[in-house]
Amino acid sequence: MSHDAALGVPAHSGHAAPGGPPDEPPAPRRRRTPAAPYLLLVPALVALVAGLAYPVGKQIVMSVQKFGLEQQFGQAPTFVGLDNFVRVFTDDALWAVVARSIAFCLVNAFLTVVIGFAFALLMRAVATPVRLMLQVCLLLAWAMPMVAGVTVFKWLFDYRTGVVNWLLVQLGFDSFAGYSWLSQPFTFFLVATIIIVWMSVPFVALSMYAGLTAVPEEVLEASRIDGANGRQQFWHILMPMVRPVLSIVLLLQIIWDLRVFAQIRLLQDAGAPVSETNLLGNFIYELGMSRQDFGGAAAVSIFVLLLTVALSWPYVRSLMKEDA
Amino acid sequence: MKMLRFAALGVAATLALTACSSADTPSDDATTAGGDKTPEAAEITLWLAGGDTNKDLRQYLKDTFAAENPGSTLNIEEIAWPDLVTKLTTSLPDEANTPDVVEIGNTQSPTFTTVGAFRDLTPLYDELGGDKLLQSFVDVGAVDGKNYALPYYFGSRYMFYRKDIWTAAGLEVPKTLSEFSESVAKLKTDTQSGFAMGGQDWRNGISWVFANGGELATVDGTTWTSTLSDPNTIKGLEQWQKVYQDASNLPSTERDVAYWDFLNDGTDGTPPSAATIMAPGWARWSIGDITKNDAGEEVRDGMADDTKFDIFALPGTDGGIAPVFAGGSNIAVSAKSKHPELAENLLRIVFSKEYQTMLGGAGLGPGNSDYVSSLGDDKFAQTMIETAAASKLTPAAPGWAAIEGAFVYEELFQKIADGGDVAALAKEYDAKLTPMLNGGAAG
Repeated sequence: MSHDAALGVPAHSGHAAPGGPPDEPPAPRRRRTPAAPYLLLVPALVALVAGLAYPVGKQIVMSVQKFGLEQQFGQAPTFVGLDNFVRVFTDDALWAVVARSIAFCLVNAFLTVVIGFAFALLMRAVATPVRLMLQVCLLLAWAMPMVAGVTVFKWLFDYRTGVVNWLLVQLGFDSFAGYSWLSQPFTFFLVATIIIVWMSVPFVALSMYAGLTAVPEEVLEASRIDGANGRQQFWHILMPMVRPVLSIVLLLQIIWDLRVFAQIRLLQDAGAPVSETNLLGNFIYELGMSRQDFGGAAAVSIFVLLLTVALSWPYVRSLMKEDA
Repeated sequence: MKMLRFAALGVAATLALTACSSADTPSDDATTAGGDKTPEAAEITLWLAGGDTNKDLRQYLKDTFAAENPGSTLNIEEIAWPDLVTKLTTSLPDEANTPDVVEIGNTQSPTFTTVGAFRDLTPLYDELGGDKLLQSFVDVGAVDGKNYALPYYFGSRYMFYRKDIWTAAGLEVPKTLSEFSESVAKLKTDTQSGFAMGGQDWRNGISWVFANGGELATVDGTTWTSTLSDPNTIKGLEQWQKVYQDASNLPSTERDVAYWDFLNDGTDGTPPSAATIMAPGWARWSIGDITKNDAGEEVRDGMADDTKFDIFALPGTDGGIAPVFAGGSNIAVSAKSKHPELAENLLRIVFSKEYQTMLGGAGLGPGNSDYVSSLGDDKFAQTMIETAAASKLTPAAPGWAAIEGAFVYEELFQKIADGGDVAALAKEYDAKLTPMLNGGAAG
């Protein structure tokens, strides 16, 4: 973490409490490494290997095989080397989907975090009853089953009977009578963004609020005495102190929004230009499940795995640095 | 600040847990193993696609199966049409999860029969009806002279219209396709489609292609070629584009629309949203004025008022009847079924005289041509039989199910509906479709 040394607040962990004991590097001690921690790791490792290693391994194997419907029904797959990768990656369709997915993922992740953070600050600022009400509302939105949520949004944006069109027409925007939101990729993704942000904001807001409550009141009080205004407090005290939470929440949002699938699929079912609204998850599903090209789908999946690692690597590295 | 990091880790852990919780529901292995020689009592599962097979038919199957196979029961699950191919792809190869008997769209049959997903029914073929079975459906379910999927029912589509609205506008039942286009264009207002048709609805749209002598694809030996650029096909697509633009208020993205809702009066007697629709024959039972059935439920009266609701067959370019998409299903036994004998017993019930007659009574064309008369002889039955006789199947190409699964024709028709240049689109999609038709999923 970089140091935000303004106002003299050291941001590095371990220096957190002003007036705490002076920071000393821990004296090197020699100890026998006990076996217990490693034993305790075993169940987690077993679960990981069983849950992840097999499917990922199978996927890697399938990505170098010709694996179609015949193979699904028992014929032996043939080894084709990198054919699947070459075929999939020389197809412009894939790159369009990749660009679309990354753009969609970044826009959604940042929007979600900004709005979520704003909610967290709001909760911090308002009186307890209002905060409780806000929290309950957020929890309800968070607890809403995804399919039910998307269905309601589909109804809201329905071209014939949707409330959104009706409201817009009542407000004088007559061109929205019968406007079909899902027909064009741009408005389709607008609706999808509203749904996804709506569904993810509660998680970010509640996590960030938890982070904010952990900021010691003394620090804020000290800064007030030193004459810091609200903006300065936010940028120089709150932000640096909640940064670990902020970065992990953002990281998770990016990973989630990159693999968004069901919301898009459900919206597509309501009628949409399918190939122009596919994101990576939908593209893989279509390639594998609908076109029965399991080998190609496995190849794209591996690419998505690498893409996720690449996108999240800066955050993971900064998190690991902090822990070091 | 350690605390904050702990909070962050806690968040991450929670997520890992929620992420894990979305795993598939485990299959309850209700079926027991065994049953190689004599059918052992068991529960078998029948997958029906969509709601065409009505409640009475299902109950009959269950009751008869239980009566004829003491101790065994039939479990019927309904799969939505759009999910069918993917569900079959994942379930059929899996012994523990496979349904025993499945209904499958006639044009989806080749995809699965060619990979050995179904049990060879050749030994039963004659017993179940043999040559009397609808041969075009038998053909799409056969590979190398062996029968894997047999005709379950056939359907066809015709036009349902608001006679009161047509008459008030001084219009009569059209004799030719161009007359139809002119009439429905006249009936379009801001709140009423002259002819309600979604832009992605290619299953209705291809009638215009067929009517102009066009084809979606042709086969030479075993090699399929997409023929959208054929002049006749283009002519049909352009006509359809014009009808859609002149007569329909529906968005270009609509597909699988419950058109019958458009034809009924709205709540409080508001005028209908459409003057004409195209739908399968059984749509009749969702159209009409509201009445109460014996159980006291509110239902539509099935177009009882014939001054208000009526039907006609889509006319051809020079009169006569336009060929429409031949809807319908095949039925097959999963190759991995643990109870093939019970599954075959179920087929014996399906192809029995009683059940075939019941299908006809429900407005579904029975797979066995001996029982077609059970459809009745009213105008609905007659129109259905006429249009079915003139109907055409979509290409029985190995890659057909993959094309449907990838919504390729939906997209093409949407682009046409949006006013795209038909010739250019046809060329673009020919290039896309030809490899897919030949099962080019992995090539």
